[in-house]
Amino acid sequence: MNNRLKVLRAERDWSQADLAHALGVSRQTVNALETGRYDPSLPLAFKIARVFGQPIESIFTED
Amino acid sequence: MTPPSGPKRPFGLGTFVLMMVGVAVVGAVAGVAGSIVGDQPGPLGLALTLAFMAVAMAVAFAACIWWWRGIDEAAREAHKWAWWWGGSSGMAAGAILILTLALRDDGSPSGDVGSSAADLFAGGMLAILLFQLAGYGVAWAAWWLKHR
Repeated sequence: MNNRLKVLRAERDWSQADLAHALGVSRQTVNALETGRYDPSLPLAFKIARVFGQPIESIFTED
Repeated sequence: MTPPSGPKRPFGLGTFVLMMVGVAVVGAVAGVAGSIVGDQPGPLGLALTLAFMAVAMAVAFAACIWWWRGIDEAAREAHKWAWWWGGSSGMAAGAILILTLALRDDGSPSGDVGSSAADLFAGGMLAILLFQLAGYGVAWAAWWLKHR
Protein backbone atom coordinates (compact mmCIF):
# COMPACT_ATOMS: atom_id res chain seq x y z
CA MET A 1 0.00 0.00 0.00
CA ASN A 2 1.24 3.50 -0.85
CA ASN A 3 0.68 6.57 1.27
CA ARG A 4 1.26 10.32 1.27
CA LEU A 5 2.25 10.60 4.90
CA LYS A 6 5.67 12.05 4.25
CA VAL A 7 4.30 14.71 1.90
CA LEU A 8 1.47 15.66 4.23
CA ARG A 9 3.85 15.85 7.16
CA ALA A 10 6.32 17.98 5.20
CA GLU A 11 3.54 20.36 4.12
CA ARG A 12 2.83 21.02 7.78
CA ASP A 13 6.51 21.20 8.70
CA TRP A 14 6.10 18.47 11.29
CA SER A 15 8.87 16.14 12.34
CA GLN A 16 8.30 12.40 12.59
CA ALA A 17 8.34 12.84 16.36
CA ASP A 18 5.59 15.50 16.09
CA LEU A 19 3.40 13.18 14.05
CA ALA A 20 4.17 10.27 16.33
CA HIS A 21 3.08 12.37 19.30
CA ALA A 22 -0.15 13.37 17.56
CA LEU A 23 -0.94 9.75 16.72
CA GLY A 24 0.18 8.24 20.02
CA VAL A 25 2.69 5.91 18.37
CA SER A 26 6.48 5.70 18.37
CA ARG A 27 8.68 7.59 15.91
CA GLN A 28 9.86 4.22 14.59
CA THR A 29 6.27 3.37 13.71
CA VAL A 30 5.84 6.64 11.81
CA ASN A 31 9.05 5.90 9.92
CA ALA A 32 7.86 2.38 9.07
CA LEU A 33 4.54 3.82 7.86
CA GLU A 34 6.16 6.49 5.72
CA THR A 35 8.53 4.09 4.02
CA GLY A 36 5.60 1.79 3.23
CA ARG A 37 7.10 -1.06 5.23
CA TYR A 38 4.21 -1.24 7.63
CA ASP A 39 0.50 -0.88 6.87
CA PRO A 40 -1.52 0.64 9.70
CA SER A 41 -4.56 -0.94 11.28
CA LEU A 42 -7.93 0.56 10.41
CA PRO A 43 -8.17 2.46 13.74
CA LEU A 44 -4.72 3.99 13.19
CA ALA A 45 -5.58 4.84 9.57
CA PHE A 46 -8.68 6.69 10.80
CA LYS A 47 -6.57 8.49 13.38
CA ILE A 48 -4.10 9.54 10.68
CA ALA A 49 -6.95 10.81 8.52
CA ARG A 50 -8.32 12.80 11.45
CA VAL A 51 -4.93 14.34 12.28
CA PHE A 52 -4.45 15.48 8.67
CA GLY A 53 -8.11 16.38 8.17
CA GLN A 54 -8.39 14.31 5.01
CA PRO A 55 -10.28 11.16 4.01
CA ILE A 56 -8.40 7.88 4.28
CA GLU A 57 -8.55 7.21 0.55
CA SER A 58 -6.72 10.45 -0.19
CA ILE A 59 -3.85 9.40 2.09
CA PHE A 60 -3.61 5.68 1.35
CA THR A 61 -3.80 4.11 -2.07
CA GLU A 62 -3.47 0.55 -3.31
CA ASP A 63 -0.28 -0.54 -5.09
CA MET B 1 2.33 24.56 12.46
CA THR B 2 2.04 22.49 15.60
CA PRO B 3 0.37 19.10 15.33
CA PRO B 4 -2.67 18.45 17.49
CA SER B 5 -2.00 16.97 20.87
CA GLY B 6 -2.46 13.23 20.66
CA PRO B 7 -2.95 10.33 23.02
CA LYS B 8 -0.27 9.49 25.55
CA ARG B 9 3.14 8.46 24.31
CA PRO B 10 3.63 4.69 23.88
CA PHE B 11 6.07 2.84 26.12
CA GLY B 12 9.64 2.66 24.93
CA LEU B 13 12.64 0.48 25.67
CA GLY B 14 13.14 2.04 29.12
CA THR B 15 9.72 0.89 30.28
CA PHE B 16 10.38 -2.58 28.90
CA VAL B 17 13.69 -2.84 30.80
CA LEU B 18 12.02 -1.54 33.95
CA MET B 19 9.24 -4.09 33.67
CA MET B 20 11.69 -6.95 33.04
CA VAL B 21 13.81 -5.96 36.06
CA GLY B 22 10.69 -5.72 38.23
CA VAL B 23 9.43 -9.12 37.11
CA ALA B 24 12.90 -10.64 37.63
CA VAL B 25 12.99 -9.28 41.19
CA VAL B 26 9.52 -10.68 41.92
CA GLY B 27 10.58 -14.02 40.40
CA ALA B 28 13.78 -14.11 42.45
CA VAL B 29 11.96 -13.33 45.69
CA ALA B 30 9.32 -15.96 44.95
CA GLY B 31 12.00 -18.48 43.97
CA VAL B 32 14.01 -17.98 47.15
CA ALA B 33 10.90 -17.97 49.34
CA GLY B 34 9.52 -21.02 47.55
CA SER B 35 12.76 -22.95 47.99
CA ILE B 36 12.87 -22.13 51.71
CA VAL B 37 9.28 -23.00 52.54
CA GLY B 38 9.16 -25.76 49.94
CA ASP B 39 11.61 -27.78 52.03
CA GLN B 40 8.87 -28.54 54.52
CA PRO B 41 7.75 -32.15 54.29
CA GLY B 42 4.34 -33.25 53.11
CA PRO B 43 1.69 -31.45 51.13
CA LEU B 44 2.24 -28.14 52.96
CA GLY B 45 5.63 -27.59 51.31
CA LEU B 46 4.20 -28.50 47.92
CA ALA B 47 1.24 -26.17 48.41
CA LEU B 48 3.45 -23.27 49.51
CA THR B 49 5.82 -23.74 46.56
CA LEU B 50 2.84 -23.83 44.22
CA ALA B 51 1.39 -20.71 45.84
CA PHE B 52 4.63 -18.73 45.54
CA MET B 53 5.07 -19.71 41.89
CA ALA B 54 1.42 -18.92 41.09
CA VAL B 55 1.65 -15.48 42.71
CA ALA B 56 4.91 -14.70 40.90
CA MET B 57 3.41 -15.77 37.56
CA ALA B 58 0.27 -13.72 38.20
CA VAL B 59 2.38 -10.63 38.93
CA ALA B 60 4.42 -11.25 35.77
CA PHE B 61 1.25 -11.60 33.68
CA ALA B 62 -0.25 -8.46 35.18
CA ALA B 63 2.94 -6.55 34.36
CA CYS B 64 2.88 -7.96 30.82
CA ILE B 65 -0.73 -6.89 30.28
CA TRP B 66 0.01 -3.38 31.56
CA TRP B 67 3.03 -3.11 29.26
CA TRP B 68 1.20 -4.63 26.24
CA ARG B 69 -1.55 -2.03 26.54
CA GLY B 70 1.06 0.74 26.60
CA ILE B 71 2.99 -0.09 23.42
CA ASP B 72 1.86 0.94 19.95
CA GLU B 73 0.44 -1.33 17.26
CA ALA B 74 3.66 -1.75 15.26
CA ALA B 75 5.49 -2.85 18.40
CA ARG B 76 2.68 -5.34 19.11
CA GLU B 77 2.83 -6.63 15.56
CA ALA B 78 6.59 -7.14 15.89
CA HIS B 79 6.09 -9.16 19.06
CA LYS B 80 3.25 -11.25 17.61
CA TRP B 81 5.26 -12.01 14.49
CA ALA B 82 8.37 -12.79 16.53
CA TRP B 83 6.49 -15.05 18.92
CA TRP B 84 4.92 -17.09 16.14
CA TRP B 85 7.79 -17.38 13.67
CA GLY B 86 10.78 -16.93 15.97
CA GLY B 87 9.36 -18.91 18.87
CA SER B 88 8.20 -21.74 16.62
CA SER B 89 11.50 -21.88 14.73
CA GLY B 90 13.49 -21.76 17.96
CA MET B 91 11.38 -24.54 19.45
CA ALA B 92 11.81 -26.67 16.32
CA ALA B 93 15.57 -26.15 16.30
CA GLY B 94 15.78 -26.89 20.02
CA ALA B 95 13.64 -30.00 19.69
CA ILE B 96 15.83 -31.36 16.90
CA LEU B 97 19.00 -30.71 18.88
CA ILE B 98 17.77 -31.93 22.25
CA LEU B 99 15.96 -35.00 20.94
CA THR B 100 18.91 -35.96 18.78
CA LEU B 101 21.23 -35.76 21.77
CA ALA B 102 18.80 -37.31 24.24
CA LEU B 103 17.85 -40.29 22.07
CA ARG B 104 21.37 -41.38 21.25
CA ASP B 105 22.08 -45.00 22.12
CA ASP B 106 25.36 -44.38 23.90
CA GLY B 107 23.82 -44.06 27.35
CA SER B 108 21.76 -41.60 29.30
CA PRO B 109 23.51 -38.42 30.42
CA SER B 110 21.82 -38.62 33.83
CA GLY B 111 24.46 -40.91 35.24
CA ASP B 112 27.26 -38.66 34.04
CA VAL B 113 25.92 -35.41 35.44
CA GLY B 114 24.32 -36.83 38.57
CA SER B 115 20.93 -35.34 37.77
CA SER B 116 17.65 -36.76 38.91
CA ALA B 117 14.77 -37.43 36.54
CA ALA B 118 13.03 -34.32 37.88
CA ASP B 119 16.14 -32.19 37.20
CA LEU B 120 16.36 -33.49 33.65
CA PHE B 121 12.64 -32.93 33.07
CA ALA B 122 12.85 -29.34 34.30
CA GLY B 123 16.09 -28.81 32.39
CA GLY B 124 14.49 -30.03 29.17
CA MET B 125 11.54 -27.73 29.60
CA LEU B 126 13.76 -24.73 30.33
CA ALA B 127 16.03 -25.62 27.40
CA ILE B 128 13.08 -25.51 25.00
CA LEU B 129 11.99 -22.21 26.53
CA LEU B 130 15.48 -20.78 26.01
CA PHE B 131 15.48 -21.91 22.37
CA GLN B 132 12.09 -20.27 21.91
CA LEU B 133 13.30 -17.03 23.48
CA ALA B 134 16.44 -17.05 21.34
CA GLY B 135 14.35 -17.48 18.18
CA TYR B 136 11.95 -14.83 19.42
CA GLY B 137 14.76 -12.32 19.96
CA VAL B 138 16.25 -12.92 16.52
CA ALA B 139 12.85 -12.67 14.80
CA TRP B 140 11.95 -9.50 16.73
CA ALA B 141 15.19 -7.82 15.67
CA ALA B 142 14.67 -9.01 12.09
CA TRP B 143 11.14 -7.54 12.01
CA TRP B 144 12.37 -4.10 13.08
CA LEU B 145 15.34 -4.23 10.71
CA LYS B 146 12.95 -5.03 7.87
CA HIS B 147 10.38 -2.38 8.85
CA ARG B 148 12.61 0.48 9.94
